[in-house]
Amino acid sequence: MSSSRTSQRFRKLRLALREHYRIINSNKLSQFGFWVIILFTLVAIFAPWIAPHDPWEMTYDSNGNFASLRPPSWEFPMGTTHLGYDLFSQLILATRTTLLIGVVSGFISIVIGANVGLIAGYYGGKIDEVLMRITDILYGMPFLPFIIVLIALFGRQLEFIILAIVLIIWRTSARVIRAQAMSIKQRQYIQMAKARGASDLRIIYRHILPNVLPLLLLYAAFNIAWSIITEASASFLGFGDGETVSWGGMLYELWLSGKTRVAWWWFASPSVCIILLVTSLVFVSRAYEEVANPRLRKR
Amino acid sequence: MLDYIIRRFVYTLITIVAVATILFILFRMLPGEPTMQVISPAMDPAVQERMKKAFGLNEPIWKQYFIYMKNLITLEWGRSFVSAQEVTSILSYRFWNTILLMAAGMCMTLVLGIGMGIIMAWRRNGAVDLIGTVVGLIFQAAPPFITGLLLLMILSYNMGFFPTGGMYAPGNRPDGLFDLLTTADFWHRLVLPTLTVGMYYISTPMLIMRDSMLEVLGSDYIELARAKGLKSRVIMIRHAARNALLGVVTIAGIMIGFAVGGQVVVESLFSWPGMGQLMVESAAQHDYPVAQGTFLMLAILVISLNFLTDVLYSYLDPRIKITAKGLS
Repeated sequence: MSSSRTSQRFRKLRLALREHYRIINSNKLSQFGFWVIILFTLVAIFAPWIAPHDPWEMTYDSNGNFASLRPPSWEFPMGTTHLGYDLFSQLILATRTTLLIGVVSGFISIVIGANVGLIAGYYGGKIDEVLMRITDILYGMPFLPFIIVLIALFGRQLEFIILAIVLIIWRTSARVIRAQAMSIKQRQYIQMAKARGASDLRIIYRHILPNVLPLLLLYAAFNIAWSIITEASASFLGFGDGETVSWGGMLYELWLSGKTRVAWWWFASPSVCIILLVTSLVFVSRAYEEVANPRLRKR
Repeated sequence: MLDYIIRRFVYTLITIVAVATILFILFRMLPGEPTMQVISPAMDPAVQERMKKAFGLNEPIWKQYFIYMKNLITLEWGRSFVSAQEVTSILSYRFWNTILLMAAGMCMTLVLGIGMGIIMAWRRNGAVDLIGTVVGLIFQAAPPFITGLLLLMILSYNMGFFPTGGMYAPGNRPDGLFDLLTTADFWHRLVLPTLTVGMYYISTPMLIMRDSMLEVLGSDYIELARAKGLKSRVIMIRHAARNALLGVVTIAGIMIGFAVGGQVVVESLFSWPGMGQLMVESAAQHDYPVAQGTFLMLAILVISLNFLTDVLYSYLDPRIKITAKGLS
């Protein structure tokens, strides 16, 4: 009995995976985005084993000379900084920080946004009013300044950066999911489930949630992308975690060093990584957007 | 209609009060001496004591809150720890610089974005459409400090077309807005930051305009206009674009909210003496009165712009049902 249930679950999972595979492969851009994300994820996981140097190690070339401000070469594939740090190693370890911040804040914010949206949309009335007013207040918060204030007050730690991002970023997903939940609530099968005596929680999480799932995935991707851009911007302004390397932080170091005029390679690699990862997320999310909003499909 | 606007206005005020309250709580949660956020530790102890009284810092917390609110309303925003200038007088100068840059960026974004959107919808699936989509998405993914740095490196460091930053030449501070706006140097210095802002935000109005154009083009009255034998250019501009603009207005509020954030980065990058740069500087120097005031000012800016777009939207779309429940 239990084994057949397990196999049934397994089949369901396989079907779901095949569905996602189909969505991602539906166009070239999302396919490209998918593989880029996989690549960055692998780099992030294996970062300490791939990186040839410590991110803050003063490197020397094979002739024993101090390797300061070297352009890309076989020895230093991405070049070095003015202090002789190997940019390739920094880049790889920064992938880890960036992805960690993106995924953690993207995940927490979508969980909050989904719950607020579902509850507000399903219950309506006073609950909806209160939750949406809170969302409105958050819309009045300038995003980056809020993060800067929070970090200036409480310190430049990774946790506060994630906290600051999460506190604000859930607002958009809450609004969108609420609207969707409100329209799904009107459907007949929800009314029938209610008539059968299903509890509110069951209706919300078993009947409405699966129907907003494509939208959830779409906004999860958006939230990850926004978190990455935000973290990079905060780091660039000097409000990043000083203990870890991040792509934005690398550009901040470049800006501080005043070597912008000479070290194009120092600028190039973190910038390309940020743009590549964020674009990939957007490309993949656009594929889900077509599922979430079928009207787009014809175009 | 008027009812709706009044209600929205009240909500706007409530939001501002709420943001100010959050700010109060945040700054009181600050680790260390509770007086630290308003009184510089470097000051004379006697002066510190007097200031403590003025800000009511020896009162219970709820009383402090009322004093804080009263000070906000009467524009007693304190003095900078660094320059000892009144926060309000610093802000009144910085405010207009931010508005100038933002307005330039938004004008460029909206005019170019809407125009591109119309062309992309018109020549749907054509080369312009495809390139516009991909380039727009890449620009959107590139944070303004990357595009800004790139523009600086190419157009300023390498080719020397533009100065590297600032709003006027050093030691050449213009007196007054009029003086500023009539110098060619100002416009010259405005180009790079405006381009940076514009590149970051252009894809939003562009893609939304394109999508809502396509939606409008499928509707009956466009068919009717076609059947009447109107020129396709007339249909595009007069009939379709006008209605598709609504979609852009809807997101304009949210976009402006984000633009204020982008402003922080662009101003810091181009040493533009606006509120965004002030925000970064004051936060980095732990100049709390200035940081607090600047944040509040930026929040008020975002909230009022949201209010304005709401009003504009209700004005543009007569179909909108303004009931007691609001826009939702």
